[in-house]
Amino acid sequence: MLIRFTLNGEDTVYEGSASDRLLDVLRNKYRLCGVKCGCGEGECGACCVILDGRLANSCLAAMGRVEGLDVVTIEGYRTTERFKVLDRAFASVAAVQCGYCTPGIVLASECLLAVNPHPTREEIRLGISGNLCRCTGYNAIVRAIEIAAWEGDGLW
Amino acid sequence: MVDGYTPRSLSEALSLLSSHGLTPYAGGTDLMTKGYRHEGYLFLHRIPELRHITETRSELRFGACCTFTEILESKTAPAILKEAVSRIASPSIRNLGTIGGNIANGSDKADSAFIFFVTDSSVRIASCRGERTVPIKDLYLGRNKLALERDELIVEVIMPKRWLGNYRYEKIGARKSLAISLVLFAGLMSIEDGKIAHCATSYGVDSGVIVRRSDIDEIMIGLTVEEARAAKDSYIKAYDGAISPGRGRVSAEYSKVVCMNLLADFLSSMGI
Repeated sequence: MLIRFTLNGEDTVYEGSASDRLLDVLRNKYRLCGVKCGCGEGECGACCVILDGRLANSCLAAMGRVEGLDVVTIEGYRTTERFKVLDRAFASVAAVQCGYCTPGIVLASECLLAVNPHPTREEIRLGISGNLCRCTGYNAIVRAIEIAAWEGDGLW
Repeated sequence: MVDGYTPRSLSEALSLLSSHGLTPYAGGTDLMTKGYRHEGYLFLHRIPELRHITETRSELRFGACCTFTEILESKTAPAILKEAVSRIASPSIRNLGTIGGNIANGSDKADSAFIFFVTDSSVRIASCRGERTVPIKDLYLGRNKLALERDELIVEVIMPKRWLGNYRYEKIGARKSLAISLVLFAGLMSIEDGKIAHCATSYGVDSGVIVRRSDIDEIMIGLTVEEARAAKDSYIKAYDGAISPGRGRVSAEYSKVVCMNLLADFLSSMGI
């Protein structure tokens, strides 16, 4: 089956099985290794991508499910101004330790700020509630998103 | 090799479903965790007839492929449904998962299907052979078993609007987010002219099918609050006999005690 979709802004045709996992295809076929496999069952959020403007677990999406849709991974997102603001904010408060969860959490932050540019602390925790981090204890991540929302005022 | 289809209309989907042995794929959040299989999927995300949320004077209609996020963002969806859906998994899973998939899964603790039980909603089902609308209760035969033919597709859920105002919803899970339900309780009660005009409760435990016993709830209908207080013990006793959970993630004893406590608390909160 030919599966047509947009990958980081480029028209893409995937010639493979419609039941292949988006996660595997992104990593193995397109070498977009910012997408991580943590749990493989939607629990950890390390495989998150932005699917048609919304956060989605790529381990829970078969390729047929992205037919006609727009997929953005951290590699595509990192070219944006918004990424730069999040990047600086995360670095400024050491919100990254091992880094495995970070691509998913940055994309979760983007999807949160896109609909709610000035979230409360509770709304931030809700926005990243599907993304597990086993290093930081979350406080630094929440702080980083607060800083990004402030520093990036007007971008979202 | 053709191993998946992405139809653009309901009629195309139904004809593919009847001619090929396909598995309908809505949100995929459950299918994808059930093992990695190369099988023929019928992807439903590009069918506009499955994505609507509409209302008439007496009922609400939710397309089977509405995602949980779309329910949450809808101006039309009632609070009881939004509250239940807001507790499902996480934002990224709510962006994928659908109410139709939640129903088709056939779980006795399916968070959104649970609300369709307590609200006595119906499900419209279509195939190339025609259409039928059945009460959701009649669709469930047992754990993961639905009265649904291989060529049939769930099209929409039809929810009566009348009694949705005064509700109680409780989900017992092990954590705040990404929590699989251990016990679910929902209750609806309307008091008009001093009498109970409507009383409906549902229980989600490991019992094969969501518990919805309108025959027991009828005990309360037509009673004044004072009369209901007198009938409370026999009402609770009837449910004590009707709910018989098996062991799931928690013990049967725990599930049972929680159900009975939630029912008693629901009645107290209504002044009964």
